[in-house]
Amino acid sequence: MNPLIETALILLGLQSLLALLRPPAIGFLPLSLGGSGLLLLLAGLGAWLTGTWGTPLDASAGFYVALLGALYLGVGPYLREYLVHHEPHRARLEAFLLPLFAAAMVGVLLSPPGYTFLFLWEGMALLGYLLIALEGPNGLVGSRAFFLASRLSGAGLFLALILLVRKEPLVGGLGHLVWAGLVLGFGTKAALFPLHAWLPKAHPVAMSPLSALLSGGMVKLGLYGLYRAQDWVGSPPQWVGWLLVGLGLTGAVYALARGLAEEDYKGVLAYSSVENLNLLLAALGAYFLLPNPLFLLAFFFHQAAHALFKGLLFLGSGTLPVRELSRLGGLHRLLPRTATWSFLAALTAAGLPPLAGFLFEWYLYQGFLAAPQGTGAHSLLVLGVGAVALVGALGAVSYVRLFGLTFLGQPRSPQAGDAHEMGIFGQLGMGVLAGLLLGLSLFPAALLRPLEPPLYPVLPLFLALVGLGGGLVYLLSRKPQRAYDTWDCGFNQPGLMGSALTPEMQPHALGYSEQLLRLFPFVELEAHLSREGMLSPPRVRLEVSDWLLALEARLARGYTAFAHRVQHLQSGSLHLYLLLQFLALLFVLGVVWR
Amino acid sequence: MSALLLLLLAPLFTGSLKWLKARLQNRRGPDPFYDYKNLFKLWRKAWIRPQGSSPLFLLAPVASLLGVGLAAAFLPVLPGVSFAGDFLVLVYLLNLGRFFQVLAALDTGSAFGGQGSYRESLVSVLAEPGTVLALGAAGLASGSLSLAAFTPLSQENALVYTLALVALSLALLAEGARLPVDDPTTHLELTMIHEAQLLDHSGPLLALYELSAGMKLLVYAGLIALLLPFGPLSFPAVLLLAWLALGYLETYGVRLRYLRLPDLMSYNTLSGILAVLGVVLRFRI
Repeated sequence: MNPLIETALILLGLQSLLALLRPPAIGFLPLSLGGSGLLLLLAGLGAWLTGTWGTPLDASAGFYVALLGALYLGVGPYLREYLVHHEPHRARLEAFLLPLFAAAMVGVLLSPPGYTFLFLWEGMALLGYLLIALEGPNGLVGSRAFFLASRLSGAGLFLALILLVRKEPLVGGLGHLVWAGLVLGFGTKAALFPLHAWLPKAHPVAMSPLSALLSGGMVKLGLYGLYRAQDWVGSPPQWVGWLLVGLGLTGAVYALARGLAEEDYKGVLAYSSVENLNLLLAALGAYFLLPNPLFLLAFFFHQAAHALFKGLLFLGSGTLPVRELSRLGGLHRLLPRTATWSFLAALTAAGLPPLAGFLFEWYLYQGFLAAPQGTGAHSLLVLGVGAVALVGALGAVSYVRLFGLTFLGQPRSPQAGDAHEMGIFGQLGMGVLAGLLLGLSLFPAALLRPLEPPLYPVLPLFLALVGLGGGLVYLLSRKPQRAYDTWDCGFNQPGLMGSALTPEMQPHALGYSEQLLRLFPFVELEAHLSREGMLSPPRVRLEVSDWLLALEARLARGYTAFAHRVQHLQSGSLHLYLLLQFLALLFVLGVVWR
Repeated sequence: MSALLLLLLAPLFTGSLKWLKARLQNRRGPDPFYDYKNLFKLWRKAWIRPQGSSPLFLLAPVASLLGVGLAAAFLPVLPGVSFAGDFLVLVYLLNLGRFFQVLAALDTGSAFGGQGSYRESLVSVLAEPGTVLALGAAGLASGSLSLAAFTPLSQENALVYTLALVALSLALLAEGARLPVDDPTTHLELTMIHEAQLLDHSGPLLALYELSAGMKLLVYAGLIALLLPFGPLSFPAVLLLAWLALGYLETYGVRLRYLRLPDLMSYNTLSGILAVLGVVLRFRI
């Protein structure tokens, strides 16, 4: 085994052990988690760039190891500062479980398909569940959703991998069955459209560094599995590709529209993760249908970019005093550094050149535009261009809303005026991720070298923007300027100080997206007017209703009713039990009769 | 090269458009070169920083102008940079400018800025898919994804190009903030889309914003010109046509109700989709 990875795993194990033996043991987190991250990054990048590097670690697994390593490198120092604010016994548990979770994720990447893989996969899911469950009653819905999704994912994988390890050729329908299991198992983890419902419930309730690991790292393992399954099973049948493309593009648009109706800062980020993952799944599905290297470039590059910018955004969210967008605002004054990091990440996430998010869309567009060279129905994939353009425009709006309502304008509540910047370790963690993100944006060829990518002139564009922009800003800042009140239609009286504008006059978190959401009938905003008394002003309350959530609620109700029915079988009646046993015996006899 | 050309032409286009509109409305109107003088005047003035605004307030006009300016650099009106997929970089550089502008509108905490911000967001969501689809269709029909290699309109690709031209012209109206999407001469904050975002910007900052708005219009005109078959005369021809058409439209037309915008812009998306399908399924007239 690779010595770097071995050392990294030993470091993670030591950290867990230390957390058990010596109660707080938080001080070592930058060294253990961050250090293991550095080692993993080096080992993974080595494997990815040079082909193979030690047996269990081939190029594609190396890519994911490097991705996880980059995240650990940022989260390690951050976590040290974050956990200080937790109660000691909880911090101890977290310092014990989190390195194990991190190690399990690496283990999944190193293990071949089979029982070890399943064991580590389930272990990772269980540790993730426990870490979310530590949030207590507030996180109950989230942790249960995570647990349920893990069960579903496990069920699909058990089916597929048990068929795979038989070492018998997969004839007839069995190949399809294996792929169905893989899509169910890995698709649930990677938030494939109708199976994504757990993610926006679970990720927002987890503590911010954990959300960063979940959204940046763990969900990528689902994508890894689907990509890697080609080596295990062989090339997938056509329907897998069409399914991933169809559901992926639908899911991306759905998640963005739904994210616009979300008030929770981390909820918006979670829906954005769903969007990015579905777009990545669509890229993978398109690659299954038309093996065009552009899709592969898009697929790999964006996973790295998404891990970094989403990790950065989630780490930034840990500094916010409250999470509701309708109570935030004006935080750039209190949190200038967090605002800067988050702004860089938001620019990337909105897919703007010359940053990393744009390159993904650039590859994806060109991949879809190359589709007419395919034959028959494949040429219709070109319509994916429209979906990607819609996703790009909506994504930009979603991040304008997120960043603008949180960091700009006036504070919408007293709590928003009481925020504290992270200290040196927190800044170090975010700074590392931001640096890696900037490096990835400006030198994409360094990462993509094994795939020999076509590129647009990234660096000249960046230099032109920064050079000309810097010059103009310098000129403007030397011009005479003065501070004055914001324009309020002349309502402020000449003798009085200050603008007549109040924070409530700014756009509301849901009001901002209300008109946009009229385009998407599956997410509805309903306005409710209420008045407390004759003289008090009426209050408007906006409520979100969503087709998918309504369907989910109906399914849950149906399942409960069904479970209630089935309970009659366990009524304690001996006759009934005897009858059931008899019927079971008949069934078994019938099966073995041949 | 083309960026400089557009930078120099933009004030002439917008200024003379004001003159044309005034003439059509039986007014004397400003000098056609008025916008040059206005920009120069604004550039020399002091600017006001609203209380509580962030550094983004200053960055936004700069980024807006640079986004449009660098996008113009990819336009092969004059020879310049060209590579496969450059039209996507062009469209997304326009997005970069808008991203900063829409964000800075939220910066001051003013009610109108916020309103302008989400209205512009809606316009962008409506206009972008059609634009990208139309340009993609033109690229597919020409067999190359680089703007410089787009073949002009001909018998072969007449249907696809017509659809693409419809989509791009609607995008020009929407992105250029022109009637019937937005009224550039409105003085009422409540009805503004583009102007509402600039309310708090003054002096040189306003000059940058106005220049970038004018250039954006010309970039879309340049894109339309690429599809037309008049060789080097295409761009002047499109400018003249757009000048006359906008003057007419803004004199005799009315502004569309804001919530009816999706109805208009659905033609943009639809013609984009049909144009792409036209290439794939080989529609002919």
